[in-house]
Amino acid sequence: MRSYLLRRLGQAGLTLAGVSLLVFVILRVIPGDPAKMLLPEGAPQSAVDALNRELGLREPIWVQYGIFLRSVVRGDFGQSFQYRAPALQVVVERAPATIQLALAAMLLTVLVGVSLGVLAAVRRGTGYDYAGTVLAVLGQSLPNFWLGIMLILLFGVTLRWLPTSGFQGWSYLVLPSITLAAFPTALVARLTRSSLLEILGQEYVRTGRAKGLGERAVIWRHALRNAMIPLLTVLGLQIGTLLGGAVITESIFAWPGMGKLVVDAIFFRDFPVVQTVLIISATIFVVINLLIDLLYTVLDPRIRYG
Amino acid sequence: MVRTGVARAQGRRGEIIAGLSERMLTLDPANHYSISATSVLRHVYDPLLDVTNDDKLVPALAESWRPLNNSTWRFTLRKGVSFHDGSPFTADSVVFTLKRVRDNSKLIKAFVYQDIEDVQKDGDYAVTVTTKRPFGSLPAHLTMLGMLPPSAAAGEEAFFQKPAGTGPFRFVSWTHGDRVELAANARYWKSGVPRVEKVTFRFIPELSTRAAALRAGEIHLIDRVWPDMVQTLKATPGVKVLDTPALEAQRWHFQLARETVKDPRVRKAISLAVNRDVIIKDLLLGYARPVVSPIPPGLIGHTNLGQKPYDPAKARQLLKEAGQSNLTLDFVLMKDLYPKQLEIAQAVAAMLGEVGVKVNIRNLEIATAREQRTAGNYDLFYSGWAHMPHDPDWYFGQWFTKAGAEKLTRFSDPRVEQLIAEGRVPDPKVRQQKYAEIERILWDDEPEIWPYYSVAIYAISDKLSNFEARRDYYVLLHEVGIA
Repeated sequence: MRSYLLRRLGQAGLTLAGVSLLVFVILRVIPGDPAKMLLPEGAPQSAVDALNRELGLREPIWVQYGIFLRSVVRGDFGQSFQYRAPALQVVVERAPATIQLALAAMLLTVLVGVSLGVLAAVRRGTGYDYAGTVLAVLGQSLPNFWLGIMLILLFGVTLRWLPTSGFQGWSYLVLPSITLAAFPTALVARLTRSSLLEILGQEYVRTGRAKGLGERAVIWRHALRNAMIPLLTVLGLQIGTLLGGAVITESIFAWPGMGKLVVDAIFFRDFPVVQTVLIISATIFVVINLLIDLLYTVLDPRIRYG
Repeated sequence: MVRTGVARAQGRRGEIIAGLSERMLTLDPANHYSISATSVLRHVYDPLLDVTNDDKLVPALAESWRPLNNSTWRFTLRKGVSFHDGSPFTADSVVFTLKRVRDNSKLIKAFVYQDIEDVQKDGDYAVTVTTKRPFGSLPAHLTMLGMLPPSAAAGEEAFFQKPAGTGPFRFVSWTHGDRVELAANARYWKSGVPRVEKVTFRFIPELSTRAAALRAGEIHLIDRVWPDMVQTLKATPGVKVLDTPALEAQRWHFQLARETVKDPRVRKAISLAVNRDVIIKDLLLGYARPVVSPIPPGLIGHTNLGQKPYDPAKARQLLKEAGQSNLTLDFVLMKDLYPKQLEIAQAVAAMLGEVGVKVNIRNLEIATAREQRTAGNYDLFYSGWAHMPHDPDWYFGQWFTKAGAEKLTRFSDPRVEQLIAEGRVPDPKVRQQKYAEIERILWDDEPEIWPYYSVAIYAISDKLSNFEARRDYYVLLHEVGIA
């Protein structure tokens, strides 16, 4: 187990180094001049050149990458071009909003997605099953920018039950988290249904029932636990979707998180902020997927890593 | 309790929440040219001069100003003004603020102030600014520069975390990407100002979200409303829509070194083929105004040269004369920057198609589009120019001098360059005359197409009183009250 863990941690380190190199190079080869984006359109070329020098962008790319790697090891991700503050500080300030949104959306995904999936599987062929299918199709097919705006118009403008945008408390989380969770919830519901249906046909389920286990115990304790393995894999991958989807959701709801920050940083060629956000996101993704791989051993004791 | 009592006694009450379209990146008034930051920071810092909505320079921290000669300005300062930290506003503040913006090349506004030679105080309440060459637009530029206390020099980073200006509101907090909160400055030098106790600026870039927040009653005003949102907002109870001719002229510039558009007859033909009325009435729903000069009405130098005609037959004839029967133009757009720009560009492509010109619309991300412009890879570039700071010198200097335009439009005309230099003097009569002459040359040469002047549209709650829809897109709430 320990050697497996060490191997995986080593792989994670390599993955992150690869991500950092990729992001670094891509940002510098795409067209666009950071100083030009910082200065007004009417700034003379001499001011543009001077600012690019100040930002260290006149050095050869490998020199810039070397400086970047040395700094990152010391925990210094450089200065944000736009905010003129440490990029890590700028990103860390925005992280709680994104993490809260992603956690709320993940909670919704698990609770609603699994419940819908179980209900649809247990009541296969009934109205519940069809309703679940309709919801799942809608969740997967509605673009989240459209869904977000519709939710704002209905619950914010017309009914005035919930705030339309911003980040001031728990009530502000409801609409963005529903918007963000719509797609993964639908996916999880469909997956839970199909996975559970397959398992409910297994012999050990029949055995459980034959020995007098209650239906609740059969489904929740035995069948669902086995159905959780593929589900966990998908949930792990959905972390990426949630972090990626947060970009659009945060824009619609004026949510002051990392998603909106990174979009603006890409548009304005704020390299240090883009690098920081992507490296942090990649780290979160890698760590969560590692944890999920370890969780398999808890769910299925037959799985062993060596 | 005491403060509330004082506030009530001064008739000050309530909170205004404004939703701005553009996020704010800094609390340093010298380190941005963002309209939203200018709006927010104007409440915290006072400049030496203010500019009214009809383009008049009026006193703020300077009670008066006058040129001593073509390269010297003298400012007489207001007495009895304090910064929010209690320190007095004096000539030292002006000397510090101006030298800082000139000398610190990392500051975004530094390039504008490079012509300042020296700033000398004359007693505690007068300052003399000498410049390397005539700088007639200096007072106008100073409307955009908030004055700082000299004590800020001791630790700028800490100062700009919690800045102190002399403005009508004190800084309270800034949640990056979300909001800035300000509280009334009870000791503001202008009596009766501000009229509310608290102002919050929220940053909501998405127009539909901004409008929804206003319609839901969560905020009291929004800026940068697009024409097609006006009807929805007008139909919302409790919401009013205000508009005013903006300081912004749309200007689509040619890449003048390109063989395709080098010939003035070709540029004239393209201009003649564009039906500006259709753009204004059908695409912008009347929320734009016909152009009669490169400089919008109200600004120094504006000269009414009459509207550009729409005459496709003449356009075809000119193209024929120029030997351009199979002309193809690359029309570059900066994605999503201007209201309805893609629809307008498509309409223009159809209009030019009528006279035999094929248009390739290249709708590029902003940074990429600008890079393409620097490289000269375009024929026509969709752009606008807000004539900040209510003065045309910046526009002329940037776009119509060889040094300014060499990586942009490649414009070069020694006559125009000479007139721009002569128009930099402080004397308004000379400036008016030189600028009028420049405008005539440009109007005739057509290095750009001026399709329309923009209109600034705001929507506000009917609880607000005394809100002025500004033509420079500033959202100023000093004198705004709330029911």
